[in-house]
Amino acid sequence: MRAISRSLRSPRVMIALGMILCIGCAAVFAPSIAPHDPSEQNLVSLLLPPAWASGGDPAFPLGTDSLGRCVLSRLIYGARTAMTVAVFASLGAMLIGSVLAHISGYFGGLLDWIIGRAVDVWMSFPPVILSLILMVGLGTGLDKVILAIILVDWTRFCRVLRSEVLIVTRRDYVAAARLLGFTHWQTLIREVLPATFPLLITLVSLEMAIAVVVEAILSFVGLGVRPDQPAWGQMIADARQYVYQSPSNLLFPMLAIFITVAAFNLLGDGLRRTLDVRLADIGR
Amino acid sequence: MGILSAHDFTVTARLDDAVVPAIRGLSFDLAPGKILGLVGESGAGKSMVGRAIAQLLPPGFAVTGGSLSFEGRDFLAMAPARRRALLGRAIAFIPQAPLSALNPVLTIGQQFDEHLARVGRRSRAQRRERALTMLAAAQLPNGATLLAQYPHQLSGGMCQRVLIAMAFASNPRLVIADEPTTALDVTMHPQIIRLIADMQKEHGTAVIFITHDLRLAAQICDDVVVMYAGRAVERGPAQSVLSAPAHPYTRCLQLANPSMTERRALYVIPDQMPSLRQLPRLSGCHFAPRCPVVIEDCRRSEPPNMKVASDHVVACIRAETTRQISAPSPSIIASAVVERPLLQVDGLEKRYAEGSRWFGGLRETVAVKSASFSIAENEFVALVGESGSGKSTIAKLLVGLEQPTSGRILVGGQDLTETSTQARALRIASLQMVFQDPQSALNPRRRLASIVTQAMEAGSRHATSNERQTRAQELLSEIGLPTDFTTRFPAQLSGGQRQRINIARALCSLPKVLVADEIVSGLDVSIQAQLLNLLVRLRSELGFAMLFISHDLSVVRHLCSRVLVMYRGEIVEQGPIETVFTDPQHPHTRALLSSVPPDEPAAAWPIFATP
Repeated sequence: MRAISRSLRSPRVMIALGMILCIGCAAVFAPSIAPHDPSEQNLVSLLLPPAWASGGDPAFPLGTDSLGRCVLSRLIYGARTAMTVAVFASLGAMLIGSVLAHISGYFGGLLDWIIGRAVDVWMSFPPVILSLILMVGLGTGLDKVILAIILVDWTRFCRVLRSEVLIVTRRDYVAAARLLGFTHWQTLIREVLPATFPLLITLVSLEMAIAVVVEAILSFVGLGVRPDQPAWGQMIADARQYVYQSPSNLLFPMLAIFITVAAFNLLGDGLRRTLDVRLADIGR
Repeated sequence: MGILSAHDFTVTARLDDAVVPAIRGLSFDLAPGKILGLVGESGAGKSMVGRAIAQLLPPGFAVTGGSLSFEGRDFLAMAPARRRALLGRAIAFIPQAPLSALNPVLTIGQQFDEHLARVGRRSRAQRRERALTMLAAAQLPNGATLLAQYPHQLSGGMCQRVLIAMAFASNPRLVIADEPTTALDVTMHPQIIRLIADMQKEHGTAVIFITHDLRLAAQICDDVVVMYAGRAVERGPAQSVLSAPAHPYTRCLQLANPSMTERRALYVIPDQMPSLRQLPRLSGCHFAPRCPVVIEDCRRSEPPNMKVASDHVVACIRAETTRQISAPSPSIIASAVVERPLLQVDGLEKRYAEGSRWFGGLRETVAVKSASFSIAENEFVALVGESGSGKSTIAKLLVGLEQPTSGRILVGGQDLTETSTQARALRIASLQMVFQDPQSALNPRRRLASIVTQAMEAGSRHATSNERQTRAQELLSEIGLPTDFTTRFPAQLSGGQRQRINIARALCSLPKVLVADEIVSGLDVSIQAQLLNLLVRLRSELGFAMLFISHDLSVVRHLCSRVLVMYRGEIVEQGPIETVFTDPQHPHTRALLSSVPPDEPAAAWPIFATP
């Protein structure tokens, strides 16, 4: 708890949390913030530039795309998609990965061997190809994107956390808990998990950044969310064809992705510096 | 003129914007070919001199006053290049941890050669010749094979010999040895000490010998400086300082150290040495808060250095009362032992298989070879032996952290090695372990109340927080800590206090037997005495037996009534302490016993005196 309050005081974490809070608010309150319906087409005003440029229309602050849809509204609704994927995919991957990591690191032996080899095999597939194959198999949709990211990225959690669990499990206080009569379950939950928790949160925030990027890639190639659901990757794909007429349409979704990923990475870095006891004294 | 003389040498440390003196006004004069001992507990500042010379002061520390002159030249004012030229050539170092002082990826030969090249031997053949001579002088046979080996292929003792050979290879005028035996096995101590002394005599080198062991200092040093909280509290010829100490601290330290020949009560110096952070708040004599002969004047101003003899200086205004300090007489150690075996170990054996069954090369290592012993109620039994002899394996087998290959562990006639829930429950209720390293043994995220009563949340037991709070306060007062410590975290405690918490946790549900693995080894003598007395008091109040694993024979002699001697996985000798210590049968027991310097400063250490 002391570590959490300490990390909240760190400027990195505060800035990152502020940025994420803004994006999160945009996502949650999208219907009331967005000036237009994201799929409403205005065929009279196609490829409008942003409002401040010459020829812009104040009704469309960031202009319109090739079908005359409001770019700002689509960006705001796109944040919904991105944040949903970021939160659920990273939590899902964390859950599977960390449960397996704790079992593997704590019990060791044959279980550790089996889980370790499974991770090895899993990780030898190129992740982008694996997720594309999964999407082809599963079909498009928000839930499918989340599932694909979970299935690809749980190994990351498993690998990194397992080594941390190994270190903690060798501490004498874990042995002492067993000697005092703690069951394996109690030992894992009350002695091991609190020690691995800081790393776990850090990994989740980094995984959120990855999930945002992967969702964008999948949407870009048309294998992400359904076409009627606005997503940043999709907007980039659409804007790509009209890049000479209206470069701003390409720029804004890219900027959105960049800011979101940067915020999650900054958060991860800040948490790592403040929560990791080994770095807590030197970093910052 | 001395080789090294310090005059009013002062080192200050910058801590949170406060400037704190880490060493205050240290003066000494080291004559050529003499050994000067810097003795004291950890944190007293005894390593600072060596570090200042090697230019390895910790960040924030700096020499801010006084002088340090090497062969008459001011060492501190010297140009860096000239100072570097002296280091390694005229001034050599013997480190504390030999394995980490050698580069693991270079052979001994390469490192020796590099060192000799640096100190100015030209031809390769010459350097090899010199290396071989030095290794032979350090009693390392087969020098040629040794030069081709890597540090990890050698034992700690051999590495230390190599480093000693390297230190003396450049015919230095001064060697600084910082706790050269602390990281090594006890049985290695006399040989290493002997080697340093022999090399020193042969080369006529002056040596600064830094140690915490007063008995060892009495044997090897010509002069000693006793340090306390950054100040030299007493200085003079080793024999007169240690046989008739004038400073109460020196005297108390001696009385706190258990004796090898008799069982006397230990003098307990209360509290602990002030840390650097506490220093600015202290006025007067820094030892005054712990001193048994303190008077009001002591707290008023720092005592001046006073002469008790022409060459014996002490910083105490009550020096004449020091000899009156004596250990408390009533000994409560010999408590009645009921001759009823409580714990019986029968043919306990542990083998580890190495390599693979399928790919060949399956080898078996025997960690414990058919160990049989018993412990009676309220009996403290010692388990001694060098590292790697299987002491810790026995501890782990007893508490169930490892499963034995064969053999039985009986408590009150019931076998604990069966894999049943009853056996586990019985083991938890009757056997508890106190771990060696209190740092690692306490969960840094729990408060003390939660740590000491951890047994009450185990399994399906659900104690209310009130019950736990009450029990925690009972336990804390039992182990002599303030009851308002319950809300603290382990990081807020000192090493000795952490070890008390460690003991309290094991005692929470009142087990019948404690297994204590080297629980006082990392602690200073005064803290060690506090813990030993605590264990004895707890036994008389709560009643428990203990298997006390240690390599420190004087501690064992003080605390336990019976001893088991282990050597290479086997219990080679066991019996009552007096019998085993006065008439050891096994050669290994004899080797262990002779590795301890005698209590009397004037007495000769047999292994050291014989040519």
